[in-house]
Amino acid sequence: MNRKGVEFTFSWIFAIIAGATILILAIYLTSQLIGSNRTQRDTFVSGELANLLNPVETVLEDNKYSVIGFSTETRVYNECSTDGAFGVQRLSTASASSRGQWSGQSVRKSVYNKYVFSRAIEQSEDEKLHVLVNPLNLPFKIGDVIIIYSGGYCFVSPPSNIEELVLDLSVDGKQNIGINLTNNVNLCPQNFTRVCFNKLGCDVNVETTSGVVTKSGKSSYYGSDNDALMLAAILSDTEIYECQLKRLMKRAGELAVVYNKKSAYIEGSGCSNNLASDLQAFIASTNISNSRDFARQIVPIARDLERRNNELASCKVF
Amino acid sequence: MSLLRVRYSKGQFKIQQMVFIIIAIIILFGIVSVFFISVKFSSLRSDVEDLRKEAVLTQVRKMTGAPEFNWIMSDDCSSCVDLDKIFLLKDRNSYKGFWNDVSLLKVSRVYPLYDIGECTTQNYPRCNSVTLVNKGDFEAYESFVSLCRFDDTLKQTKCELGKVIMGFEGVE
Repeated sequence: MNRKGVEFTFSWIFAIIAGATILILAIYLTSQLIGSNRTQRDTFVSGELANLLNPVETVLEDNKYSVIGFSTETRVYNECSTDGAFGVQRLSTASASSRGQWSGQSVRKSVYNKYVFSRAIEQSEDEKLHVLVNPLNLPFKIGDVIIIYSGGYCFVSPPSNIEELVLDLSVDGKQNIGINLTNNVNLCPQNFTRVCFNKLGCDVNVETTSGVVTKSGKSSYYGSDNDALMLAAILSDTEIYECQLKRLMKRAGELAVVYNKKSAYIEGSGCSNNLASDLQAFIASTNISNSRDFARQIVPIARDLERRNNELASCKVF
Repeated sequence: MSLLRVRYSKGQFKIQQMVFIIIAIIILFGIVSVFFISVKFSSLRSDVEDLRKEAVLTQVRKMTGAPEFNWIMSDDCSSCVDLDKIFLLKDRNSYKGFWNDVSLLKVSRVYPLYDIGECTTQNYPRCNSVTLVNKGDFEAYESFVSLCRFDDTLKQTKCELGKVIMGFEGVE
């Protein structure tokens, strides 16, 4: 019997094993490289995002509205920590591929002098995020409340100052800022988050007289007559709001120390102001554990401090 | 002393040939990888530098609005900074690391100039500059501002020409 077989020598086996190893290694390295490229790009985007928050900050303005555009749908991860003298804001991003797959979270960019109020993960809509910036003056400027949000919000019967603010920023409704105004909750678009003012029955309920925002059963206190913090409480997660408020109060305490030194310095130059004890009381009150403390402790002292400073003619400290 | 005669079979010769080829392929891969990584890192370096530069450029224009710098006593001066406040901030340990993405943050007087450079508690306000951050190696950008303070001889506010200087560290 004549059986013809294929010659399968050692060199063939060796070449196949070595070739397969090299190919698998090359495929693995390429996939790793693509993954790290996406992380690198997302990290660059989070750095850019942190930089973009500089020009949107206020100098003398009361409030500002901007839109941040991305090249692809992007998720912004907002992490807040109260550790250290000022706490820290960490921003990172993830992007969607053309097939709709999300990349992993990028490297976090730490910022100490920014206060971003948003949901823990804010996802862009039509590759855009809305940015609303309001300075927090309590009684002196403490920082800018930067609110980043997406999606739609329907404000039902808001107070006149909020209505004016929304109309002002949206150029009388000509520009879409993601906030609609209505007097009837039933007229709100279906996919919008409904926000009721001084009545119940919405996704978010605002009690303006006591300065409380309630959503998902959790309450955030903003102290009445504080539009910046009211909007921040409405548009951000309760945990983020509480953390950023604590960070803002840490900065308020540090600034009050500087103003206290300044009051002593200008008093030594013959400019009497007698604000030292009030500033000391303000410094002591800034160590808060939640927003309820803020509304109860800090707001009344800050108002009193503001009144006393305004009474000073040319010797104002702030 | 005897000479050993070694005989290689055809199979052993082919194995050697294959090993040499594989080593050559690995060396080639290594060279290509080193080249690729160096190109990638140089672009990464320039990206990081661009980000740092952008951070400084965007911040230096807005420093007059920072609560630590702003001059609150006038509602219509967007370029005024409070020199008293900046000077009193200088030795605050809590502010170390607050402006973490800059390697230089300094406020300098442009006119009139005094003989003494850096401000201390002994010479303030007759001095030319207050340095809040100085980490050494930097590329700096400036923005002209009005340095305002309470003048003890005039017993009123006095503003002079100055500048805010911010620098970022390059990537080596």
